[in-house]
Amino acid sequence: VIGSIFTRIRPYALPLAVLLITWIVIATITPSFRGAGSVYAVLEGFPLVGLVALGLAVTIIAGELDLSVGSMAALAAAIAVLTSPAGLVGSVLIATLVGTALGALQGTLIGQLRINSLVFTIGTLILLRGLTYISTGNAPIMIQNIEMTDPLLDRYWIFSVSSIVALTVFMLVGLFLSYTRWGREIFAIGGARNEAIAAGVPRVRPLTSSFAISAGCASLAGALAATRGGSAAPQNYADLLLSGAAAALLGGISLYGGRGTVFNVALGVAVLTVVATGLAARGSAASLVQLVTGALLLTMIAIEFLAGRLTLRDTVFGAGLRRNSRDPTDTDD
Amino acid sequence: MIEPEKAGAVGSSPLMRAEAGGRLVWLPLAIVIGLAAVAIIIAIAVTPSFLTVDNIRAILRNASIVGIVAVAMTPITLSGNFVSLAISQSAMLAMVSFVAMVGAGWPQPLAILVVIAGLIVVGVLQGIVVASGLNPVITTLAAGAIIYGIVSEITGGGIVRAGDYLISWGSSTLVGIPIQVLVFLIFTILVTILMSRTVTGRETMLVGANRATARISGISFTRVTIVSFAIFSIGLALAGILNGAAFNQSTARSFPNLTIDVIAALLVGGTAIQGGQGSPLRSAGGALLIAVISDMMVLNDFSTGGRLAVQGGVVVVIVVLLDQLRRRRVVGS
Repeated sequence: VIGSIFTRIRPYALPLAVLLITWIVIATITPSFRGAGSVYAVLEGFPLVGLVALGLAVTIIAGELDLSVGSMAALAAAIAVLTSPAGLVGSVLIATLVGTALGALQGTLIGQLRINSLVFTIGTLILLRGLTYISTGNAPIMIQNIEMTDPLLDRYWIFSVSSIVALTVFMLVGLFLSYTRWGREIFAIGGARNEAIAAGVPRVRPLTSSFAISAGCASLAGALAATRGGSAAPQNYADLLLSGAAAALLGGISLYGGRGTVFNVALGVAVLTVVATGLAARGSAASLVQLVTGALLLTMIAIEFLAGRLTLRDTVFGAGLRRNSRDPTDTDD
Repeated sequence: MIEPEKAGAVGSSPLMRAEAGGRLVWLPLAIVIGLAAVAIIIAIAVTPSFLTVDNIRAILRNASIVGIVAVAMTPITLSGNFVSLAISQSAMLAMVSFVAMVGAGWPQPLAILVVIAGLIVVGVLQGIVVASGLNPVITTLAAGAIIYGIVSEITGGGIVRAGDYLISWGSSTLVGIPIQVLVFLIFTILVTILMSRTVTGRETMLVGANRATARISGISFTRVTIVSFAIFSIGLALAGILNGAAFNQSTARSFPNLTIDVIAALLVGGTAIQGGQGSPLRSAGGALLIAVISDMMVLNDFSTGGRLAVQGGVVVVIVVLLDQLRRRRVVGS
């Protein structure tokens, strides 16, 4: 019994240790970062960086990478502000649904065309950014009826409405990945794509669903941030890719595809938010947060590499390896 | 990892393919040139001011910084190491340090040499990490965050000026040709010769086309990766120095869009993200094509959003087209 518990906990041991250490260090050097207030601050990382990391993690599990999440969040923020007459819930829902639909389209195209998702999403990154500028008229836009966003500013003990929404989405995505057929397909196609397809897993559907989740999460993140702040600017959120990817990988989502859970993402987001809010509370600039994020990210992938010594051939990073091992299912084109 | 027998049995040894595919190698280049030609014809038809000396000079000048870096990054992509996500930050590092050195009274030739040497050190460090097996995309994403963090901390987010030491040669011309364009031209020729006419270049192509075969042939992936990061760093240094000399000042926020623009130029040029196919010349063509399209839209009063949306759309369409052609060729041969 102890053995099976150990096996279950092991994937989380390293990120959990990193979280404890960073929390203790930050709480020691930053007196204001203690108690319920600090837990609240960490949970406030989930609505923006957390949701983006969650979506990115799903694409990484599928063996792909969605570079367009920052632009998607900016576009959804603009849509949420533009549709604000529909009410708080209405505008956030509309923005999230539009984003999810665009993501599903993107994933379907990537699957159908069998194109490398890095290549495809670098194009859509620019395209969606352009659409954001067009929809905002090239300038920041504001919500007219600003009182409607008041519910988002309330605090309930360690929670806010945004963090409750974000944590609910974490739970739903976690259930989807673990307990539904479509969710398990994402793991299958990311872990061993050719073998999975040979065994009957559809090629396109897991990509459609993973990119829909990634875009949907990014859109929800952008829409929540925009409605909470009452405005959207077309140039926002370009840095979300770094913090989102860093959080997912810090938490232990494997770059090699097919492995990781929402708990990994949650741990990674917590680590990143502890560092960011802790340093911000000390008056440090955002650039120092980037510096620490980069260093943590590098350390984490080095540890994963040394621990795993795996190859990346079944993921989007399978350079020079995948193309020459002829794909057994690739005979139909 | 692929068995050597398997790679042989597929009959797609890169050397054989390079010979047999001679007639097809020019196809992506032809597409890019064809599209550029169509774009230019439309441009002339709808925009009378397009075909003036001033405008052509402006296009070339706009293409040159992105072009230099895209050409410089091509060996990294050809070697199967994908792309760097630290482009903006590295070029910014070169620009800030060049301006700062000149401002501190250093002789300019010395400053130029030190910047190039410094950038090579930073690039080779990343190359060593990547060569040891870590994911290039994530490694450079982290490196970019670290570089940005360090430079911002040192400069305090402020503007670095060259002060009394005017370095206005950055805006000068030689027989009517802007200095950036000359550097772009010479650098493209040098890197193209390096990649197509030297042992190092051919080894880079082979490593990117089939890493397993290259290793059996005694080619060092480590050496190829480090050399390609060194070439990349020279391009980044040149871009930073040229912009520093043109603007006389710099901040940690310089080159905000360079990463995306460079990757877009490289992919539109027809270099395959998986490595082994492409050339620096094509990346230069990609940069020129994007510059022509952007210039045409500026002359026709497109908004920022319209320009980005069209640029993103063009990138998506061209990379999908090139990818489909490439796939057909591999299956057909």
